[in-house]
Amino acid sequence: MNRRKMLSLLGASPAMLAGARIEAETSKKTNAKAGAAAGKIVALNPKGNPPPIQLVPMAKRLDTLDGKTIYLVSDGFPGADHFLNQIAIWFRKNMPSVTTIYRLKAGQFADDDPKLNAEIKANGNAVIMAIGH
Amino acid sequence: MVTVAFKDLALSNAAQRGMPHERICFTPHPVWGKTDEEMYAYLEGNDPVSGKPLMKEVIGALTNPLTAEESKTGEVSVSTGPETFADTEDNLQQYYIDNGMTDFMQIVLPTEERVEAMLKGTSHKPDEVVGKMSPARGSYPDWSFTVRQVAINAVMAGAKPEYFPTVLAMAASGVTALSSSTNSFAVAAIINGPIRDKLNMNYGIGAMGPFAQPNAAIGRAWTMLSRNLSNSGIPGQTYLGTLGNSVNYNNLIIPENEKASPWTPLSVQKGFKVDENVVSLFVGFSISQGQGGIGLGVKPVPQYHQAIAYNCTPFLPLFGALIVFDPLVAQGLVELGFKTKEQLAEWLQKNQTISAKDARSTLTGGRWAPESIPDDQRVTYYQRPDSYNFVVVGGQTNPYHMVANMSYRVSVSIDQWA
Repeated sequence: MNRRKMLSLLGASPAMLAGARIEAETSKKTNAKAGAAAGKIVALNPKGNPPPIQLVPMAKRLDTLDGKTIYLVSDGFPGADHFLNQIAIWFRKNMPSVTTIYRLKAGQFADDDPKLNAEIKANGNAVIMAIGH
Repeated sequence: MVTVAFKDLALSNAAQRGMPHERICFTPHPVWGKTDEEMYAYLEGNDPVSGKPLMKEVIGALTNPLTAEESKTGEVSVSTGPETFADTEDNLQQYYIDNGMTDFMQIVLPTEERVEAMLKGTSHKPDEVVGKMSPARGSYPDWSFTVRQVAINAVMAGAKPEYFPTVLAMAASGVTALSSSTNSFAVAAIINGPIRDKLNMNYGIGAMGPFAQPNAAIGRAWTMLSRNLSNSGIPGQTYLGTLGNSVNYNNLIIPENEKASPWTPLSVQKGFKVDENVVSLFVGFSISQGQGGIGLGVKPVPQYHQAIAYNCTPFLPLFGALIVFDPLVAQGLVELGFKTKEQLAEWLQKNQTISAKDARSTLTGGRWAPESIPDDQRVTYYQRPDSYNFVVVGGQTNPYHMVANMSYRVSVSIDQWA
């Protein structure tokens, strides 16, 4: 992924990414003099400070799903349990060697569930998590 | 797997958490309310984003070998752009709007001189970290911000330096005015203490309307700083409110009318002294009129408490109740026997009820009305009286009230930011 795409996902606006007609100055003092001299106003960036991002590598993939155990995890949004049940039915019909186990994640939507994570690590090979309404 | 309405959110959230290549498959939206057959048809169909067969994509996501990009580690720093912008006034106004740094109205351009003037409104150093905030705690990374950065946003909103400690207190609370939720939440700030008069805040006629500069500017500053200091309010990414909410323009800023109230100020209920300057913050659904509720206008003595219970009927108990009274209503409630706000809260908690059957049909009703309770048995909306909060404000032209399905979040001392 290139830097422009990354920044757009992190919230940097399209105008700023596209290189707006506004001069981007990095030095306040230089900027104030230059701005005043050119009859322009110098105004300040109101943005706060985002934390740096630690890249998380993806988990190694499976060679095949045959004979594997997949956890189907709901984050609690309405309808997720029914939808994941349909996925379980799909696997039973189309890939019967796959075992599926349904779980509802504990806590609020974005909360971590260490107990469930430990269970999946011990007993599962993969996770499909359902998010959305 | 994510429903396609949240595509931008899913991708940006994954990137912000260090997983720009997280393998995400999308389904049509919504899932909620669909039959089993309809949901199975989603699985047999295509991912609406990639156009590829969905389950084939799911299997591929779990089995296709990782790419070099997907295996990367390390740290990525995020830039929010240059420190300053230089251009003509008209071009700058448009630039701030085009880059989503405003409420889409013209601002007071934050020049160095104006920001320095704003900083004189506090004794705190410009580089001091005020706090952190995110569009939804836990779901998005927290951004941090300094006194100076809050000052820039306060200038943009049209605030005066004497308003700045109040704005700093709101920023320090960490409560965003632009919650990411699909529910289009609103926020309220109740102001108590002598600062209301010092700033000439309006707590009389039209208190919650556009009739006083401090009320307007402080509220607007909350929206501005939420947008810029925490990355809240980007539609599709950090703002998913399906309808939006016009309250978000400058929020419910409510200085309590302490002089005309027969009761204890809200800040004192929250543990502060009566002469302390405090802002108390609430989040939830919007506010609605209370006029016309059962118990008003017909009997010789309006039964305000019954009207309030009735008007709170549509509430979702996931959030509490914030009731805003004109002083005439507060005085009427005292005459009905509610000598304190606590007494009123206790009565409402016991008497605002719903059938178990109706409770179970609400989004979270199953939590307090399990299947074991008979359908026609009444259950209370709230389990505790402190789910109700009250504030007295208004100009006594009519005994009206408003109700908001909002929860109390926190009270912050304004004095500590002076």
